[in-house]
Amino acid sequence: MMMADQFRKVEQYSPKSSPRGARSPVVSRQDSTGTLKTTISLGKNPSIVHSGPFYLMKEPPGESELTGATNLMAHHGLEHSYSKFSGKKVKEQLSSFLPNLPGMIDTPGHQDNSSLRSVIEKPPIGGKELLPLTSVQLAGFRLHPGPLPEQYRYVNQAPLKKHKSKHKNKHKHKAGDTPSQETQVAEIGQDTHEKKHKKRGRHEDDKERKKRKKEKKKRKQKHSPEHPGGLTPSQHSNG
Amino acid sequence: MAASLENLETQLEMFIENVRQIRIIVGDFQPQGQNVLNQKIQALVAGLQEIDKLKSQVPEVLIPLEVFDYIDQGRNPQLYTKDCMEKALAKNEEVKGKIDAYRKFKAHLMVELGNVFPHELAKYRAIRGEERPLN
Repeated sequence: MMMADQFRKVEQYSPKSSPRGARSPVVSRQDSTGTLKTTISLGKNPSIVHSGPFYLMKEPPGESELTGATNLMAHHGLEHSYSKFSGKKVKEQLSSFLPNLPGMIDTPGHQDNSSLRSVIEKPPIGGKELLPLTSVQLAGFRLHPGPLPEQYRYVNQAPLKKHKSKHKNKHKHKAGDTPSQETQVAEIGQDTHEKKHKKRGRHEDDKERKKRKKEKKKRKQKHSPEHPGGLTPSQHSNG
Repeated sequence: MAASLENLETQLEMFIENVRQIRIIVGDFQPQGQNVLNQKIQALVAGLQEIDKLKSQVPEVLIPLEVFDYIDQGRNPQLYTKDCMEKALAKNEEVKGKIDAYRKFKAHLMVELGNVFPHELAKYRAIRGEERPLN
């Protein structure tokens, strides 16, 4: 009861608009900020003096040397990698990343059950020792001669190789198909012959032009003997 | 680390090449090819044994799971790296912008508070010390 009376007296002097509401700061409670320090003196002249720092002044956050204000790309030395990827256009297909891998690797993995996710989700059975197959086990791989059925033949062909094989096929087409080969060779032969013929014509024309030029030069030299074009280096040294 | 990874890569490539050759043999099987096929199958097992041996030599490599999504979709995993770097740079720029804006705001607030509450701000400065220099 005595304590309560004391508090009532103090409350008369306490600020009306306390930032913490109507609660008295004298009552001990957890101060989350740790900044609310007030000296209350009782007696004839009770007073409340704020001895601590400002209200709601929390401790500043700990300084960290590395923040988003710095260029983190440069800080970690990744500028070269960034310019490498941002500068050139990266090809979309997986096959451009793994060009030597045979098969159709650009198709979604779940289609042919070759996704890496499935390896993680359903890990393969491991832990068993890998042993070479016995002759009895190898007998299970005895195959019948002959080609594979059509539906399995062209599975897993790399698109890039297809592209390349197109060029190869063109060559093969020229070399392999006998009936068209002859006609093609004949055509090529005609072409070359015509070209040669044309070349000959050109050659003859060139000869005539050179002759005319020589004649012109001779005429000029006669008119202007000081012309340097008419003298060889040896002639210069002699002269 | 690099050497062990390269070794693993070589072994995997050899294994894939062996499988590719088996595919060719099987594609149009000839009776005289049975011995070769048997050898190739044994080589397959040997290849798996070699890869299994390398398991202990390869250190732990952390790979983001998202990369697997790119590969599973038949996309170039370098695109993931590119996207990540672009996102990181964009975020870095965004955060830097925020930090700069807050710094400017604080400086402006201090000036204005100093005009209105000069004594209180003097106390504040005495407690807190001088501001950190702007980067």
